[in-house]
Amino acid sequence: MLLSILLGTASALAEQPDQGPKVRHVIGLDNIKHNANGHLKILNGAMHFDPDKDDNKVRDAKVPVASISDIFVGNETTQSGGTAGKVVKLAAPFGSGRALTLLLRTKVDILTVVFRGAGGDLHGAIFALPKGQAEPMRAQLVAAGAHTSAPPELKERPNP
Amino acid sequence: MKSSLALLMFLAVPALMPGQNSSPAASPKLHASAIQIELIEVGDVSIPAEFRYAIYERLLERVRESNTFKMVFRSGDKAAKDYPDLVTLHTTLEAFKEGSQTQREMVPVFAGTTKVDISAQVTGPDGKPILDRKIAAKVRMFGENIYVTNDVAKRITKMLHESF
Repeated sequence: MLLSILLGTASALAEQPDQGPKVRHVIGLDNIKHNANGHLKILNGAMHFDPDKDDNKVRDAKVPVASISDIFVGNETTQSGGTAGKVVKLAAPFGSGRALTLLLRTKVDILTVVFRGAGGDLHGAIFALPKGQAEPMRAQLVAAGAHTSAPPELKERPNP
Repeated sequence: MKSSLALLMFLAVPALMPGQNSSPAASPKLHASAIQIELIEVGDVSIPAEFRYAIYERLLERVRESNTFKMVFRSGDKAAKDYPDLVTLHTTLEAFKEGSQTQREMVPVFAGTTKVDISAQVTGPDGKPILDRKIAAKVRMFGENIYVTNDVAKRITKMLHESF
């Protein structure tokens, strides 16, 4: 019984298509809202951003990999906990919310994808990814045919 | 009563005098139906790539939203050449100091400020400069460091809106 459940779960996971890493779109994709969460994946020679919510003007933004001229990987310290975290910090008595700042810190990777549109127009799409996931995504894009001049290593910024 | 009336009159007189309180004569407005926004030049100043492209993208968004120009073109857009009165916005990074969001939230205003100094220049269709300004932007309170790019875009857009 247990074995059949385990096998069923494993086969379901195997059939699930690779959604790509969960990312936050900071800015740069037309018709996608700032800070929209979604998944980034490479499919049929294009980088796709699938937003989680349908409130964006398009369901899926795609950038042909061949049009990508540069990819940069960086990092940033941001606040986790979303809006709830902000509210808790503001509502905490006697300024204790400031101490929560230290607990709610999260480091994220920043992936900057530079590409040209059909008319030669320059675009820069910026994504925030969980720490350690920008470099594999960059490698996948390069393997798929994206151009890049930036060095591959991620340099930790001393004071982000 | 008499003294308070005198004080009131003393305070009111400068406001009523013509020419005393008015702003300096505004320079004549420039005209252009389209603008092309170039990517910020960084020269020898070190700045993370995401800041550079975020400034560019936010500038495009803000200038479009301001409706100062009929058309706003990205750098390299071939369609821009169809506009004979096209002006071009060039920005050059002069200084960048990355602060810390954590420090800002622990000690707002006084610590962890992210600062950007930029020189913004608009050139006419002949390539000659028609506007040149220095812009200083900061993030002093809440938000990620990259939100300094929003302040940069806001200030440059305001400059353009006042000049065109």
